Order: sequence, then structure tokens, then C-alpha cells
Amino acid sequence: MKVRAIALNTFAGLVRDKLLIVICAGFLCVLLLMVTSLTMMKTMSQSNPDVFQSTELPLIGAIMAMVSGLGSLLAAWAAADSVWGEMKSGTILAVMARPVRRWEFLLGKYLGVQMLMAVYVLFLFGMSYLLAWIGGGRIQSTPWVLIVYPLVRYAIYSAMSMLLVTALHPVVSLGIVMVVSVLASMFGPANSRSFLPGGLRAAVYAVLPSTELLSETRFLTITEARLKQIPWTNHAVALAYGLDYALVLFLLTVWSFRHRALARN
Amino acid sequence: MATPAIEFRDVSKMFHRWFSEERIAALSNVSFEAAAGEVCAFLGPNGAGKTTSINILMGFLFADSGQVRVLGCEPGDIRAKQQIGFVPENFAFYKYLTGPKLLRMHMALAGQRENGGSRVSDLLAQVRLNGYETLKIGRYSRGMVQRLGIAQALLADPRLLVLDEPTSGLDPAGRKDVLQLLTDLKAQGKTVFLSSHILPEVEQICDRVVIVDRGRLVCAGRLAEMLAGGDRVEIVVDRLPEETEQAVAARGAVVARDPHGVRLLVEAALKRELVEALWIAGCDVIAMNPVKSTLQDLFLKLVGDYEGAK
Repeated sequence: MKVRAIALNTFAGLVRDKLLIVICAGFLCVLLLMVTSLTMMKTMSQSNPDVFQSTELPLIGAIMAMVSGLGSLLAAWAAADSVWGEMKSGTILAVMARPVRRWEFLLGKYLGVQMLMAVYVLFLFGMSYLLAWIGGGRIQSTPWVLIVYPLVRYAIYSAMSMLLVTALHPVVSLGIVMVVSVLASMFGPANSRSFLPGGLRAAVYAVLPSTELLSETRFLTITEARLKQIPWTNHAVALAYGLDYALVLFLLTVWSFRHRALARN
Repeated sequence: MATPAIEFRDVSKMFHRWFSEERIAALSNVSFEAAAGEVCAFLGPNGAGKTTSINILMGFLFADSGQVRVLGCEPGDIRAKQQIGFVPENFAFYKYLTGPKLLRMHMALAGQRENGGSRVSDLLAQVRLNGYETLKIGRYSRGMVQRLGIAQALLADPRLLVLDEPTSGLDPAGRKDVLQLLTDLKAQGKTVFLSSHILPEVEQICDRVVIVDRGRLVCAGRLAEMLAGGDRVEIVVDRLPEETEQAVAARGAVVARDPHGVRLLVEAALKRELVEALWIAGCDVIAMNPVKSTLQDLFLKLVGDYEGAK
């Protein structure tokens, strides 16, 4: 009941966060522009649909990948701000004066962020279908891939950001998460180009979250609009890895927050 | 012997600045107790360490050394927090919530189930916030926020109330309400630990006083015992010759002249001796009024002396 109350309140606070509202409004405008221009181009190139398929759809795929990547930053910022904002404003004092354990507070905050990200993913999911439909393709995959994979990826980034914000300023935390996400993409197994020697590259890959493994684009691209068939065990391994990574980060957050001063000195 | 509701034993807390050698002693070996069922006033000038002490008491900060016990538990212990109502200084709430929604959320945090909303309505009425049920907290005045803070502190029927400046931001009527509320709580046998700068009001309700200054304990004890022996008498005379003034000043009298005569403030024990001296000197005693020692006098004397000693 306590965790639920904190999670719902966190979600309510995040959807009213002015910065997040501005980001989401900007994001929505870009998507609407994209949909409009796409529809117009499709109408104009009705005589030659192949040209449309080869030029416009890769662009849409790239933009959707960018939007999905933006979700990682949104998750990181929401997680950092949800904890830091409470400490900065002092609202945490009234909450923690209640019989609430510190891990319960953090879990409530974390779940509140995941609720926000679930809304974001559902929106992305809808957009993917809409754009595929406008582009003349049809997503043939099981829809859960488009929902669960980004959610697990965002769970990792939000846990990482929450861990960092227990010791650092949220802007610094967000910066570190951004660097980690870039490094994670640089040292992924699919990326053979690297300036580091093989052993060191493998070590970095082992430590950083392999979000590439958790990318739904492994299975689906807008251009193909089709899910590559892979065995369910591969899904299970990838998702278990992601959830385990997020869990470890969350436990580290709980440990770090255990003796954190809640009031400003 | 009963376990004290609050116990501080040689508690010290030092604050450090990042990237600097500067260290500030917020608390230095502070020790005091508040017994169950008492109203204990925690006093001190700004920056004395009151809020730091309260934050340690609530488990928001950790002491560098010493021992703190709250209702027999460590600070922050879930069993203690179940029995504590807390109003922090400069209370901050979620501005997007309404008063009833905030109280319902706190009920959930306290692990209580709402019984048709009657508890919430009663509390809002108790702090005179009924009629504002649909108003967002962001639109509340400071006094209304403070009242809501008191309502949420009372939500779980606590055994111990910890109030950091509960009357700050309240108008005189609001302050009177809070004092009445504290009096009622005292009558119900609750323990109240409050910090405040409004000493005349605190004096009306408190049993025990703890005074700190610059992180050090200045005094702690029962108010009645601390004020005993401090009573004085104001003697008004028509005139006071210079040689007599020197003689009474030597006995510790404070002399003030005004158009109606000369006022002498002396300790009650010296009044007979002084009146005799004044008569012998040919002065007419116009009036003699007892002056009770107050908490404010005690506070100013102790904090003043303490500052002087430093």
C-alpha cells in the first residue's frame, strides 16, 4: 500500500513536470510533422511506391530509433528528478516521517518512473504501427516485443540514474548515463570498430549494460516491417539479462541511499 | 523508571563543505531527555542546531557520535515512526494535490485504511481547512500549508508529536488554535516536542525546556524549577537622590526614570530591605508590583550570558 501510494504520486508528479511536458510537447510536434509530411509524400509518389519505400521508410526508421533512444534519457532524467526533486523541495521529510523504509520509498519512486515509461512505450508502440501503416507495411511481429524490450532497457537506465543521484547532482547523473549509453553502443558485439584492444573491449562490454541486446531493432525495422523469427529462449535470455542488470543497479541504489542525509545540511 | 520519549546522550554532528577544510559544528555533546506525556520546548536562536537535532531525531540525518533514542528505538526505526507525528520547518507538500488527497496519501503511507473519508474530514475541520477541499495545495497560503502540516501530523493518532516551528506563518488566530490543540493533546497524555521562537506562547503549555545555542546545550530542565527564584518586584518612587541610587544599584536593582517617577526592578527577596532604605532616604513609595519571571527572561539571560562567556 505504501509503495503503491508513492508510485502513483510519483507518476502524478512526473506527468506534471514542466520540463518533461516541454520535451514531450516538442517530441509530439516532430512526430506530427513527420506523419503529415509522410502522408503528403505518399500521396505525391503514388505512381512509384518503390521510391517511397526506399527513401522515406529508412528515414522514419532512423527517427523512430532516435525517439526510442530519447526514451532512455527521459527514463534517466525522470528517475533522477523524482528522487532529487523530493530532497530539494523537502517533501521527502513528510514522507519519510511516516513508517516508510528507505527501500520502500525508492521502490515507489522507481515504479512511478516505470509507469511513466510504460505510457511512453505504449505511445511509441502506437506510432510504430501508425507509421508502418502509412508506409504501406504491416508489422507482423508479436506486439509484446515492441513493448517489453524498450521497457526493460528504460528500467536499466532509470535504475542507473537513480543510483547516481543518491550521490551526485541530477544533471551530472544524466551526463554519466548519456556517456554510458554511448559507450554501450560503441562496445556492443555488433560493433566491430573499436580503438580498444580485444580483451579490454570485452571487459568494458561485460561491465556496461548491453542495451544493444535489448534493442527491439534487432528484430524489427520499420523498413522491413517484419519480425525476424528467433527462438523464445533468446528473448528469455535477453530480458533476464536486462532485468537482472536493473535489479543489481536498484539494489546498489538502496545500499547507497541507506545512510544518505535526507535533509539539507 | 519509565523510558524517556526522547533521549539525547552526548550527541555531536559536524558538517563539512565539499572541497574545503571548513567544518561547522552543528551539535557538540548535546544531552537531554523529554519524558513521556510532557510538552518539551526546544529553544535556541537561529542557527543554534534545533533543526539539525530534530532531523537526527527523525532519522533524516545521522549523528557523528553519541546516542539518540526515540520512544525506546533508534531514530528512523519503523516502530517509532508508527507513533510519531511530525511537522517540519518550512513544510513542503506536493503542490498538485488537494488537502484531502494529501491526507489520504499519508494515510496510505501510515498503513491506515480510510473509513469513508470521515477521518480526513474531521482533521480538515480541526485545522479549519474545511471548505477548501478542492483547492490545490499550490494555491494555499503559508498559514494554510502549516495547518495542513499539523493535520497530517495528527493523522495516525501519534504518541509523540515533533513540531519544528509549528506556529510560523500563522496569524494570531491560527497561533491560538495551535496552542489550544497542543493543550488538548497534552491533556490526552501525548508527548509534544516543539521548537519555537514565540516564547510567551510556548511558556503557557510547556513542562520542560531545552535551550541550545551554537550547537551546545545551554540548559535543560523543568520550566517551573528553572523559573523558581527568578521573581522580581517593581518599586515605583517619586524621586531618587543620587547617593541612594548608587546604594540600591549596588544591591542589584535596575533603575529606570520616567515622567511618573522612578522605577526600581529588584529581586523579590530584597524588596523589604530596599523599601526600608528608600524610606530612610525620604523617598515616597508610590507603588510596588510583583514581576513574574518569564521564559523569555530566562532565555535572554541564558543565551546572553552564554554568548558573553564565549
